[in-house]
Amino acid sequence: MLIFAISDKGGTGRSVTGTNIAYRHALQGNDVCYLDFDFGSPTAGAIFSVSAVARGTRENGLHHYLRGECPLPRRVDVWTESDREGLRARPPGAGRLVLLPGSEGGGELSALTDEVVGRCVQLLGRLDEEFDLCVVDVSAGRSFTAELVLAATVRMPAIPFRWLVFHRWTRQHIIAADGLVTGADGLLDVGTRFGHDPEDLRDRIRFVRTAVLEPDAAELVGLRDEQRAWLSACDSELRELAGRHGVGRTAMLGKIPLDPVLQWREQLITDEDVLASKIANAETAAAFEDLAKKIVDDSAWEGL
Amino acid sequence: MLVMGEVHTGLLQNSGEISESTCRQVLALMAGETVRVSRRPIVHALSPERLTGVDCALPTASRSRVRGVGTVMSRCAVTGGRVAQGSSYVRVVRSEADRRLPWSHYLARPGVVEVLGKAKAADLAEGFTGDSAPGGTGGACLNLGAVSGRFLDLVQASPLLDRRAPFKIPRTSLRWVAETGEPSIRFTLHTEQERTLRLTHPGPFTPAVVDLCEDLATHDWLLTSLLVIVERARIGGTQGAQAVARLAPAIDHLMHLWMPAARVEEWLTPFWESLERRPGFSRQWRSLVDRVRDQVAMNTLALLNATAEAGRR
Repeated sequence: MLIFAISDKGGTGRSVTGTNIAYRHALQGNDVCYLDFDFGSPTAGAIFSVSAVARGTRENGLHHYLRGECPLPRRVDVWTESDREGLRARPPGAGRLVLLPGSEGGGELSALTDEVVGRCVQLLGRLDEEFDLCVVDVSAGRSFTAELVLAATVRMPAIPFRWLVFHRWTRQHIIAADGLVTGADGLLDVGTRFGHDPEDLRDRIRFVRTAVLEPDAAELVGLRDEQRAWLSACDSELRELAGRHGVGRTAMLGKIPLDPVLQWREQLITDEDVLASKIANAETAAAFEDLAKKIVDDSAWEGL
Repeated sequence: MLVMGEVHTGLLQNSGEISESTCRQVLALMAGETVRVSRRPIVHALSPERLTGVDCALPTASRSRVRGVGTVMSRCAVTGGRVAQGSSYVRVVRSEADRRLPWSHYLARPGVVEVLGKAKAADLAEGFTGDSAPGGTGGACLNLGAVSGRFLDLVQASPLLDRRAPFKIPRTSLRWVAETGEPSIRFTLHTEQERTLRLTHPGPFTPAVVDLCEDLATHDWLLTSLLVIVERARIGGTQGAQAVARLAPAIDHLMHLWMPAARVEEWLTPFWESLERRPGFSRQWRSLVDRVRDQVAMNTLALLNATAEAGRR
C-alpha cells in the first residue's frame, strides 16, 4: 500500500503527522518505509532524529535518484540510526522502519520527464514488494512532485494507493484543501489528465485535520465564557463550511489534536513521551495510533 | 582473468504460484527466442539471454582506474512458479588492443568485458566482492546489481501477474566472482540483504558456474525469507493460534521449494556439498521447517483439547 501525504499549504503538520503514522504503523507490526519527496525542504530525517540526514542527504538522496544520478536511493534504518535513545532499539513485535531521505539542497523538481516517472515507478514498485506500507511525503500544494506520483500510479494499476490531504481547522485551510483536490490543476484535475478515473481517484482521497482545538478541550478550561462561546460558534461555522466544500466528516479520516509538543518541536511522539516524561498528550498518541490503523482499514475507505 | 556476476532474488509478485505456461509467457523477453523449462525435480524456467553494452570503470580494491568495454549477459528465471531472479555476469579478459574497438567486435563476444590497460584479477575480485564494493547505491563503476535488478523488475512488472503477493519480503543480492584454480568456495553474509561468493573452480569457466550461483542465490533467499517469517510469527511471544496464522505463508508458498543442487552439474556438486557441511544450509532449513511444523502440531493439539473439553461440558 502506498500512502501519499499532501497538504494545501505549508505548516499544516503534514510531515510530522506522516512520520508519526509511519512510526505507529511499524509499532503495530508492519514493515514501513517513509519517502521524503518534499524536495524543497527534506526534513524527515530531523523528525526521526537521524542527525546525519536531518536536512536530507548529500549523496544518493531521492532527488539524486529521480534525476538518474544514482542507481538506488540511500536507505536509513531508523531503529539503528536514530540518535534518540527511545527509538534506537526495535521494540518487540515491531516491523522495519526505513527512511529514504531527500537530497540536501536538491530543490523542487523542475520538470516532469518520462525518465523521471519511470524511475519513480521502478522505486515504488520495488518498495511495494518488501514493505507493507510506504508513506510518501509529497510537498505542499500543487507541484511537479504531486504530478509525478499521479503519473507514476497510473502506470502501476495493481498497486493500491491512497491520498491523505492534511489541513488545519481554519476557514482558509478548509477552502484551500478543497481547492487542492477539486480545483483547477488540483489532484482530480491533473490525475484525470494523466489517465486516472476521477471517481475512483476521489474515493482514494481522505482529509486529515491537524492541530485541532476541540471546544471542550482541557486547554480551554481557563478561558472566559465569552471566549468559549465565540470558539464554539466558530467551530460550528467551520463545520458547516467544511461540509459545503466536501471536506466534512464523511471525507475525513481523522483529526490530530493540538499538542504543545508538536508546536515547539516536530518529533515522533513515543509512548515514553506520554507515559514517562508526560510531555505529550495521550490523545495525540491515540490519534496517531488510530490513523495508522485506519489508513489500511477498508471500511474507512468505502465510497463516498 | 575472472568472471563476476550478481543475482537478485525475490518473491514473484503474484497471489499464487504461476503455471509452467504462464512462466513461459512472463519470461518471453525477446520475440522468437524460447524460454527453457525443466520440470524435475522442480519447475524451473529460464528466459533467453540479453546483452547490455557497457563502457565504464571496473570496481577495484586499490581504487586504481580500470576501464572495461564489452557486454553484460543477463537473464531472468522463475523457480517453482514462485521465486523470481534477475542474473547478470561478465567474463573479464585483457584486451589485445589499447583502445576501444568498434561495437561489432564486442557484440561478437557476448558476455565479455575487455579491460583496457593494466589490471590484476585479485584487485578486481576484491573490488567487486570486498567491503568497499559498489553497493546498491554506488554509481561510478560497473554495477551488475543495477542491471540484474532491472531485469527482475521486468518480470515483476509483467501484466500476467496480479501483484497481490501473499507476503512482503525483501529481495536479496548475491555478488559472485569465479576464477580458475585450486577448488575453494567462500560464502559471506554482509547486511541483511547482501551476500558475496568467491569461487575457485578447476578447469575453464562454463555457464554451469552461473547455474550454481543462481541455485545458491535461490536457496539463500528461501532460507533468509523463512527466517524472517518465523521471526515475524513471534513464537512464544504471542498466542499459539496467532503465531501459526503468521507462519501460514511459509507453509503455503515456501516450504516445498527446497531442492538444493537440483540444477547443478555433477562436477560442481562438491561446492554445494562443502557449503552443506559448513555453514550447513539444509541443516538450518530443516530445523526451521521442523519448528514451523511443530508449532502447527501443537496448535492442532490445543484445538483438539479445547473441542474435547467443550464436548464434555
